[in-house]
Amino acid sequence: MRIRGTTTLSIAVMTVLLCRGGGADSAPSVSPAANGTIRGRVELRQPPSDPPPRPSVTDLGMSTPHAPIDRRSVVYLDPAPRAAFDTREEPRPRMDQRNETFFPHVLAIVAGTTVDFPNSDQTYHNVFSLSKTRSFDLGRYAAGRYKSVRFDRPGIVRVFCDIHSHMSAFILVFSHRYFSVVDDEGRYRLENVPPGTYTVVAWNESAPLESRKVVIAEAGGDVEINFALGRR
Amino acid sequence: MLIPAHARRLLLVLLCWAATAARASAQPLPEGPIRALDGRMAVSGEVIATLGSRDDEAWFNYTDYEHNALRMMRLGLSASWRPSDWLGFVGEIRSEDLEQPAAYAAYVRVRPWRNHAFDIQAGRIPPTFGAFGRHAYGTDNPVIGYPLAYQYLTSLRTDAIPATADDLLVMRARGWKSSFPVGSQTPGPGVPLVTAFQWDTGVQVRWKQGPVELTGAVTNGTLSNPKLRDDNGGKQFAARVALTPGVGWIVGVSGARGPWLAREIPQTFAPLQRALGADVEYSRDHWIVRGEAVWSRWSFPEPLPPANVGTVGALAAWGEGRYRITPRVYLAGRADRLTFTRLRGSVPRTRALPWDAPVTRVEGGFGVYLQRNFVLRAMAQGNWRPAGRVHDRTFLSAQFAYWF
Repeated sequence: MRIRGTTTLSIAVMTVLLCRGGGADSAPSVSPAANGTIRGRVELRQPPSDPPPRPSVTDLGMSTPHAPIDRRSVVYLDPAPRAAFDTREEPRPRMDQRNETFFPHVLAIVAGTTVDFPNSDQTYHNVFSLSKTRSFDLGRYAAGRYKSVRFDRPGIVRVFCDIHSHMSAFILVFSHRYFSVVDDEGRYRLENVPPGTYTVVAWNESAPLESRKVVIAEAGGDVEINFALGRR
Repeated sequence: MLIPAHARRLLLVLLCWAATAARASAQPLPEGPIRALDGRMAVSGEVIATLGSRDDEAWFNYTDYEHNALRMMRLGLSASWRPSDWLGFVGEIRSEDLEQPAAYAAYVRVRPWRNHAFDIQAGRIPPTFGAFGRHAYGTDNPVIGYPLAYQYLTSLRTDAIPATADDLLVMRARGWKSSFPVGSQTPGPGVPLVTAFQWDTGVQVRWKQGPVELTGAVTNGTLSNPKLRDDNGGKQFAARVALTPGVGWIVGVSGARGPWLAREIPQTFAPLQRALGADVEYSRDHWIVRGEAVWSRWSFPEPLPPANVGTVGALAAWGEGRYRITPRVYLAGRADRLTFTRLRGSVPRTRALPWDAPVTRVEGGFGVYLQRNFVLRAMAQGNWRPAGRVHDRTFLSAQFAYWF
């Protein structure tokens, strides 16, 4: 119980941080020739095991095993450079529903992005969120169909399935483009960062936020920042 | 006073805690089960508090535990432990109105073949018959009340029976506390067609292949009177066939038969309760619509004079629906009807009467999700019955249900 409470506390804090993303008044103007890269790894010291489904005493048989949850971390700048707010055309992200699991489990997008929620299972799903950032309820829809949601406000959106209580996911909505979801090895890379002083923040749903100060020199270059996130 | 003082105090504490937690985003209520034993054990709980107006005249919503379903505090704790892929243990303890907790479910689940959806469950097992009995009340019941078939107390008792048709007719609409000349002389509650408040004990097998699901069970009690230990003339056999003809559809038919009278009732053979059920569910977009019908018959050891009626029956049918108008708010309603077969008493030139008073119930209202697993409901329920001290009664009720 306490763990969950702490989780939400950090989420609330992060929501505030994310919303402040546009306030980078002190960030230097963009100078592409001198931009730098922030890269590194995010390691979870004690990766949590997947939460079990809620015991259902009314089931007539064993429940189907679900795909393991891929709890990836997200690294972002706070505040972000002005250039981060430029608009770009990018492919529409998807959050699929397969084997009673959301894929990906963590999705990071820029505010104003529309996300597709296809159903690739043979059963109904009912994607919904009661998050203050964006609440929605897509209703029940069958395999092969998809519905979409546009996310206009920065913050964290927790996504659930109304039919399968064990299904959950996170959508992190940023007001800028300086964020990165780590790869399979936990590596991240924030490119084209203009010279200046920033705070790099690492987020994971199962760990408290961690942040580090970083300076991108006028000459640009790479800066390596590694994180080792602890357990809540 | 809506509820007992001790329950009121607890309710107040729970409401304060819930309201504080829901407001403070830093400390919301826990959302998921607690895990243990390397994730192989999960423990979850629920708190359901229902506040409604008093009903000590009509007894429309009283349950087989003599509690009012519209004025109930329910606390439940359930756990599942799956030591291996083929073996699991499931249990739930529950307390109603803060009384001593009782084991609602306690069974072992075995899947002998990993690649076949064939399961065996033994112990205090989920109901095989019908659909409503396997719906989780806090999350799946769109309204606050229960369907008449699963809650409304008929005048029939398992430990006392009428000697004549008149003995039965005089108890019309008195299912909360009926009395009969044969058997126990202490007045007591009757039985519903199928009880939703207690599970039976026995062995159940389930096989699922594609859109077809077959379930069968042998248990100690009957639909009306599930038992931990057998006190009647033998085992009940129940079966169900469920089809999923398309996504969103579930269609099922069920049957059950078993001796229903306690052994202390004089009987030369074991009279049976026999029941048939049909259910259908369809959901799409923001809608979910269900319908279910239950037809039950109870036999007596001796035909009831003067018309020598050996079996009485009851038919219940209802439809319910829920529509989510926003992510947090939904509307829901249920229309329900319970009727009984007719029999003639000894008064000359009188028409045959239903052996118990038919009941019509309509319930509707709305629910608001404060959190994914914390819902407030408010409903109005109307009841009509052409017998008894009170023929109609409308109840307003509110409920908060929280589960993790």
